[in-house]
Amino acid sequence: MTSGNTTLDGAGAEAGVTVDKEQILSIVQEVLSAMLDAGEVLVFESDPHGESDNDLYAWVDMHMVLPMGDLSARAVVRTEAATANVITQSLLMMDPSEEVSTEDLADAFGEIANVVGGNVKSLIDVPASLSLPSVSAVGSDALSGTFLQDIDLNWRGMPLNVSLWILTDATEWS
Amino acid sequence: MKAIVIDDSRTMRRIISSILKGVGYEVLEAGDGREALDILTENPDTDLCCIDWNMPVMDGLSFVIEVRASREWRNTTLMMVTTESERGQIVKALAAGAHEYLIKPFTPEAILQKLELLGLLPIEENA
Repeated sequence: MTSGNTTLDGAGAEAGVTVDKEQILSIVQEVLSAMLDAGEVLVFESDPHGESDNDLYAWVDMHMVLPMGDLSARAVVRTEAATANVITQSLLMMDPSEEVSTEDLADAFGEIANVVGGNVKSLIDVPASLSLPSVSAVGSDALSGTFLQDIDLNWRGMPLNVSLWILTDATEWS
Repeated sequence: MKAIVIDDSRTMRRIISSILKGVGYEVLEAGDGREALDILTENPDTDLCCIDWNMPVMDGLSFVIEVRASREWRNTTLMMVTTESERGQIVKALAAGAHEYLIKPFTPEAILQKLELLGLLPIEENA
């Protein structure tokens, strides 16, 4: 699940669409550096860390119109609820002792997925549209379709995972 | 100076608003293009709109087209602030009447540089 270069399956491959781990890492570093860490790069690739019961998932879908047919893909950011809490406090410039509301957490963590997904979309050299972000504590809501690529990360000592999926069912596009 | 920050993410609205307020802007917020049009109607003296692209109800491009169709708002500067970074999308927004385009993620400095380019940094910041 963590190989280097990966080509999008089927129609994507024919269009020459590729996304590799290094590109995802570069995007996440740019996003977190600009949005959370005042220009510092504090996120790095880490050893794999599996899913836990405390994980939250935020994702956006990309819908590409290719000459050989439409293709939908999903970018998912996964982390523990405690880390999503810290992300929210950082984004909203809250004191660490301040309580984070469920609404703020969903909005802030979803926005991270939105910006990561939007930048992944920019790697794909075909016209594509982006969905609004979704957030869930249920892995099966997010991790849907055919696995394409992922990278395990360490941000300020906390685990993050970014994964890409090909949506095999057109009804999954939202 | 007055700005409207238009983004469906409250988080992003708060971030952009904080930057603009930091240089002296009065800031209003809208969660989609339709809400922003209502606010703009009540605030025709708005100097700047910072506009996300992907929003429910009315997206950012539709908002730009609506604003540019009215002479009443011809002096309002429109800046897209969005994850949409495809060249085609940027061209489309600029052709519709957006003055500037800033891709997320951005730093506070990047927003201030855009304001300076647009001549929209309040005087004390330009000095």
